[in-house]
Amino acid sequence: MAQVELDSITKVFEDTSGPIVAVEELSLDIPDGEFVVFVGPSGCGKSTTLRMLAGLEQITDGELRLDGEPVNDVSPKNRDIAMVFQSYALYPHKTVRGNMGYGLSLSTDLSDEEVDRRVVEAAEMMGIEDLLDKKPGSLSGGQQQRVATGRAIVREPAVFLFDEPLSNLDAQLRKHMRTELSRIHSELGITTIYVTHDQEEAMTMADRIVILNDGQLQQVGSPKEVYYRPANTFVADFIGSPSMNFFDVKLRTESDGTGTLVGNGFTYEVSEKIVQQSNGEGDYILSVRPENFTVVDSLSPTSIEATVDVVEVIGSDNFLYLDVAGKECRVRAPVEVEPEEGEVIQISFDEEDLHLFDRNTEDALIHGHERAESEPKLIEHKA
Amino acid sequence: MINETRRSRLLLYVALGAFALFALTPYFWVIRTSLLTNFAAINPETGYLPALDALTLTAYTDIWEQFDFVTFLKNSLVVSISATLISLVFSIPGAYAFARLDFPGRKLLFYTAVFTIMFPWIVITIPVYEVFYVLGLINTLSGIIVALSIFVLPQTIWLLQGFFRQGIPENIEEAALIDGHTEIGAFLRIVLPLSAPAVGAAALFSFLTAWNNFLWVFVLTSDEDVRTATVAIHFILGSDVLREWNILMAAVVLLVAPPVIFYGLSQRYVGEGLGGN
Repeated sequence: MAQVELDSITKVFEDTSGPIVAVEELSLDIPDGEFVVFVGPSGCGKSTTLRMLAGLEQITDGELRLDGEPVNDVSPKNRDIAMVFQSYALYPHKTVRGNMGYGLSLSTDLSDEEVDRRVVEAAEMMGIEDLLDKKPGSLSGGQQQRVATGRAIVREPAVFLFDEPLSNLDAQLRKHMRTELSRIHSELGITTIYVTHDQEEAMTMADRIVILNDGQLQQVGSPKEVYYRPANTFVADFIGSPSMNFFDVKLRTESDGTGTLVGNGFTYEVSEKIVQQSNGEGDYILSVRPENFTVVDSLSPTSIEATVDVVEVIGSDNFLYLDVAGKECRVRAPVEVEPEEGEVIQISFDEEDLHLFDRNTEDALIHGHERAESEPKLIEHKA
Repeated sequence: MINETRRSRLLLYVALGAFALFALTPYFWVIRTSLLTNFAAINPETGYLPALDALTLTAYTDIWEQFDFVTFLKNSLVVSISATLISLVFSIPGAYAFARLDFPGRKLLFYTAVFTIMFPWIVITIPVYEVFYVLGLINTLSGIIVALSIFVLPQTIWLLQGFFRQGIPENIEEAALIDGHTEIGAFLRIVLPLSAPAVGAAALFSFLTAWNNFLWVFVLTSDEDVRTATVAIHFILGSDVLREWNILMAAVVLLVAPPVIFYGLSQRYVGEGLGGN
């Protein structure tokens, strides 16, 4: 097990069209035993970072330390890491047993019996003991995934690296494997760094989520932190599904200390507390998550009028796609709320659920929730 | 009334049959003529399928007695196998480098190599002769081996680099690096065993090119004891007046047999290699 430290890690690829900065000055401390998930859209640098950790990619600048030891120039085999690839990368000419035991026989001087004992043990853990003598070609995607994970487990490495290991599986199996991987992590307690583009995967598995965009670190925090207190509009938009609603608003302060957010086609009264936390009158971006809206019966100073565009019934909830003065607004409503398309309804949200971002920098200024750890209030639907 | 799928299947078999007939007729004619007497071979009354009693092996015994065919075949085998092995030794690492490594001038070098496949060899016979003469390699088997290895190399590199690029996922090599191999180790222990079908295909093509090569052997040798079977046939051909067709065809059968056998043995691998799996 190991502590992983990234100190201003930068990766620049040289291309015919000029240098491409894939990762820019990424600094991060990952304590021993933590499950960290790197998440971001394609090309954000998450896989490149993982490959630098594995030693498959040279670090252009900065220092990578494992347990305090700089490992920038240490070859992959000497880093005591195991990696699971998106394509599984099993050796097609070796049996499952051969695949799983290969790393152990190469990197340790364990006897063949000991290697085999550990392979069987890991296979039992992954539920693939009956596949040990098969070749990867005859296995299903899910089974190959298990073998690839088993191959990593058997090494008992200091750090596990996962590069989008579940993205080739179907939705059902992906959810199942998610739980399995979390279980394995809690059983073994090995520092795990996991890369995915799927924010749901990140939210459900991670101790801490690292959100990257364009090679730059956007936010590091627990799933609740990044959900309740996103650092900027990118994080706010990326985390959560359906994604957050954004409205350009102006803050107008009243003589009694309260204020009003004036958007296109709506106004929303805010308390003195919000006004005090803000930078005063000016331009902001107001964000509210679809699940924080409620459909209300009557007009109020905190209600917004909207026209129903589309109603999507998904069983557990209804997704309402509304039109607020020409801007789309997504609302997650309980099943009882199923307005007609074209109907004009009133929606509202609690002040606690709003987020205000600076219009220029798009950085977060105010979150309704003071602390991410605070118990989120149960959403009451007043339909 | 036959349904759509059966009709298209029927058409397919008719087309395949026609193509097979077109492809196999020359082989049939070669074998047929090689089994006739000299007179029967040129007699217009000999049918397409000659009577069984007209068949004889005299052409084969004659060729054995008149020409030193054992030496020719032996020379052919020696130069073809040597050229194949030498070209593989150089092309495997070469192709791997072209497929995987990024080094200055990679594209230029690669296209230069590929360009030589398209280059008409006849144009460079005189300078090549000069070079080989200076090196003392004229009229030697080693000279022919060197020449054939060099000229077979580009096509082997081209074939193998395509396989390394597409047939072997980079992740498998990376997994090997993490499992404890060095880059050379990962190449030798993981990539190479997985490349057996492609190496087999490349070996077959090298062997065939070397075996069938006429030009370089003809240009670089004059002595009979270093002559290969392909060039020997040119001399067996003799003049237009006294051409012994049955002997010529028997020589062709002997010339074609080894590559056919070699192909038969490696067919399974070659198919996989060309398929890129």
